[in-house]
Amino acid sequence: MAQGVTPYYLPEDRIPLPPADAKVTTTACDYCIVGCGYKVYTWPLGREGGPRASQNALRAEFPAKVNSGKWISPNMHNLVMVEGRPHHVLVVPDGDARVVNVGGNHSIRGGVLAQKCFNPNKPSQERLLYPMMRVRGTLQPVSWDTALDVMAGVSRHVLDRHGEHAWAMKTYSYQYFENTYAISKLAFGAIGTPAYAPHDKPGPGPDTPGLDWAGIDAFSASYEDWGMADVIFFSGVDPYETKSVLFTSWIMHGQNPDKKLIFALPRKTMGVAWGEQRGGLFLQVIPGTDTVLHLALIRIILENGWEDRDFIDRWVANSWEIDAGMGRGTRNTPWQWFTTWGRYGIDFAGYRKWILGYRWAELDTAARLTGVPAASIRQAAEMLARPRPDGSRPRTSFMLEKGNYWCNNLGNTTSYAALGLVCGAGNRPGRVISRGGGHQRGWMGGAGYPRGLSPEKYPGRRKKEIDLDRWVAEGNVRFAWVIGTTWLQAMAASQELMDVFHRLTRQSPHQIASTRPAAAIESLTRRADSGGMVVVHQDIYPVDPIGTQLADLVLPAATWGEEDFTRCNGERRLRLYAQFNDPPGEARPDWQIIAGFARKMGFEGFDWKDSNEIFEEAARFGRGGVLNYHPLVVKAKQEGRRAHDLLRAYGTEGIQTPIRMVGGKLVGTKRLHDSTLQLGTPEGPTTHPKWLTAFGTHSGKAVLLRSYWEDFQDFYEAVKPTGDELWVTNGRINETWQSGYDDFRRPYIMARWPSMFVEMHPDDASARGIESGDLVAVENDRVLVQTGGFQGVEEKELTFTELRRAGHIKTTTASFTAVAVVSDAVRRGVVWALMLWPGSPANSVVPQVPDPVTNRARFKLGKGRVTKLGESPHKRSFTTMSLKPRPIV
Amino acid sequence: MSPHEHSAERPCLSRRAFLLSGGTAVTVTLLDGPLNRAFGQGAALKRASYPARRIGRISQLAVDRPVPFQYPWKDAYSANMLVKLGVPAGGGVGPARDVVAFSTLCTHMGGPLAGQYRGQHKVVGPCPLHLTTFDLTKHGMVVSGQATETLAQVVLEARGDEIWATGVMGLIYGYHSNLAGRA
Repeated sequence: MAQGVTPYYLPEDRIPLPPADAKVTTTACDYCIVGCGYKVYTWPLGREGGPRASQNALRAEFPAKVNSGKWISPNMHNLVMVEGRPHHVLVVPDGDARVVNVGGNHSIRGGVLAQKCFNPNKPSQERLLYPMMRVRGTLQPVSWDTALDVMAGVSRHVLDRHGEHAWAMKTYSYQYFENTYAISKLAFGAIGTPAYAPHDKPGPGPDTPGLDWAGIDAFSASYEDWGMADVIFFSGVDPYETKSVLFTSWIMHGQNPDKKLIFALPRKTMGVAWGEQRGGLFLQVIPGTDTVLHLALIRIILENGWEDRDFIDRWVANSWEIDAGMGRGTRNTPWQWFTTWGRYGIDFAGYRKWILGYRWAELDTAARLTGVPAASIRQAAEMLARPRPDGSRPRTSFMLEKGNYWCNNLGNTTSYAALGLVCGAGNRPGRVISRGGGHQRGWMGGAGYPRGLSPEKYPGRRKKEIDLDRWVAEGNVRFAWVIGTTWLQAMAASQELMDVFHRLTRQSPHQIASTRPAAAIESLTRRADSGGMVVVHQDIYPVDPIGTQLADLVLPAATWGEEDFTRCNGERRLRLYAQFNDPPGEARPDWQIIAGFARKMGFEGFDWKDSNEIFEEAARFGRGGVLNYHPLVVKAKQEGRRAHDLLRAYGTEGIQTPIRMVGGKLVGTKRLHDSTLQLGTPEGPTTHPKWLTAFGTHSGKAVLLRSYWEDFQDFYEAVKPTGDELWVTNGRINETWQSGYDDFRRPYIMARWPSMFVEMHPDDASARGIESGDLVAVENDRVLVQTGGFQGVEEKELTFTELRRAGHIKTTTASFTAVAVVSDAVRRGVVWALMLWPGSPANSVVPQVPDPVTNRARFKLGKGRVTKLGESPHKRSFTTMSLKPRPIV
Repeated sequence: MSPHEHSAERPCLSRRAFLLSGGTAVTVTLLDGPLNRAFGQGAALKRASYPARRIGRISQLAVDRPVPFQYPWKDAYSANMLVKLGVPAGGGVGPARDVVAFSTLCTHMGGPLAGQYRGQHKVVGPCPLHLTTFDLTKHGMVVSGQATETLAQVVLEARGDEIWATGVMGLIYGYHSNLAGRA
């Protein structure tokens, strides 16, 4: 736990070098979307290599040269068990890498991967070692058999008595194909439940629907594209803070190191400062207003005729292509919302006419709403789209992330896609529209989400995916299996959700009082029948509160480095993440736990011997998709090899999906929608979907979607700060981005970030008597929470206004504490809070009212009052928590 | 439990440092005075094998004017800066506890930090390679960036007006051991 780690750090002044015969394994980083390549060196204790190239397994001379990618820092070393014997391990960025982290570049997170490995003498000793059952309130070790028997017994009862809607799963979406395939095969196939949500949202469905519905795959770009661009517009993301190596290897360098960067964010971060210094632009938006910023940019571009007409004529759908069944989807999908109704999709001429007459797209309106000076907006439009004197156009690319799509999901993503399209981006080298990404791409569906069974429905007869949090809060879930996520802190109005969980679990009179499986099952089924909920938490660490306080069963998972796994990074690069050390205790990989449970339930098709068998089986289900690696499995079979082993041979370079076979060889795909890609006749197992060379619609043309501020305005007015309240938005920091769960066990990182923190503007801080290093309380006494409202019948029934009128919006309170960092990096009137600090969840002050069309959360739109509690110990410490401003250039 | 209490109650840290030193003689030295009692107690340094070298005089240092020097050896990797911060700092010596010294090779990938000192904030950086910045008041802690170790800090002693370098805390970029082959 965060509180348990030594909050200062004692650096070491040597590392053991691997002897020349040390075992070398390749892998990629466990953390962020970039997915840098790493080499792992393991050798038994008692020997060390030497500093000459012939004396060590890196084949490197020490001292290592500057920027050689061959230096090893002490945090790259640990001691682990390999087949029961203690070994040294070094986890080192691949200095020979020619892709992703070229030349051994790395982030602070990946660079300390070795500290993740289980070592009983280090904080990673906190790993879960045995299955545990909460007997009379205390978690006690039990056998795997007991744990799975109890789960199966309760599950059978819940499915029989309460139906599949009452049997829920909340899991990561990213932690390797082998695991997610097993999870989805169980949840959607064998059980058939619609009560499922990934770790970062209330239910399944696209994060960036505006891109998807325009026909743009959210991960269509390659890292090379970001390197080639002349101009990049970053919306709600600074890839220096999140996606470090994408920034430091590809954006700072790449084919065009002179590119100009435009950022739309409420807070200035290091990448922004670096970009500004090189002729870029910082549009410091008020949270939630990106849609009007995008509309104003588009309008300026169209008013001046700067749009890419050749591209639009060729690649943007006309009204026939949108309306006459040539849209992207079939009937009865969310797609129809945007097409048949005629409200959103429109051809270019219609879009132009609409936006030139739309008052929320006026420059002065946008400047007032966004807080960005009109001159800056105009300058941004010029940089994005104005043709050069010779008529040529800048290669402009567009990257968005959660600051964009966790505010006004529908409006921000549709307007962002439209902005990119009028600039001619989306389907050419250096001209891309893509997410930057969060976690890696580790979802491989073994069965599709049963949308038809979902309890949620748009007005009309269209179903939509579930909002699992609301479904739980309404008492509809009786058994919940949580895998690899905190669930509660990660979701909106998190303290309200914690109250719900406590009420449904620990406050039930029906608690396990005996370790006998039959008795435990009886107690838990009584709880389920009386309206309560049984919770299983499966993870690598004890997680508070879902595992430590709430779960009836806690299951230990094996993770990265403890099993052969596969997945793709942000440019769809597939690699093998090889096993190199033993899982601790009785921990098992998630797929094995799923399979064990499924067999107890009597389900067929869960008899895998190893993770490679799942990888091979799953290939069939990914064939039509962007992560298609089926040709690799076919090729492996032709060669009489295991597919994992063939992929292993590709090392840290891997191969970009979708994989094709050309001339008998496997060929990767650099970018999607690539109008420059020449495809021959599809060979062998190769498929050539239209979106390889065109947009992802039936017509192959991209769709312009109108974005109405009015769709969002009623909600926005209701969540805006008033009086002495401030916006309390949230985000991530480079040092703990996508690695927080391990960072709490790394003294090096904990010395830097020992506490939850908020950044405040000096004016807001001084008005409240707050200085850097002070401990503050953030309180919101009007946290909006939606209750019910699952099914719409009348046209506007699910809008915020109508939900509130019908009594579906309630108000609760929330608060958290944090250390203040006073800095003019953040906008006046805006407090920026670190997201996902488990003990002080910033999401508690965030409304739990999802976007009525897309069901996506508005995590970035918290607010609250900030008051000083006193001084934190870090204010005057020399060993913990630097309080210096971060974007210094 | 606060960090101060924590370290004060854990004498095992000095044993740990002893073990890490490979059993050679250890001289326990407090890094700084009462301002940072906690860290000083914990951070026993294995200084026995580091050379002691006079590197400057306190009276000749001006605030925010770093002075380069080499330590512990004479090769290109032993490049450091001595700087009077003008504010007290972890490991600082002199009457104001504000004189510190750090390696000028970034502990990410060895980028050159000489010339990157920022007096306004008492930090060094951003490194020209990947933009890491280090807090010189807090033992070279990363403020922002990619380094996987604190910036190697040269342990200083004030002997009257003289400033002596007597050890290094943290592995210097490039080396696999600060002391290998030098004993």
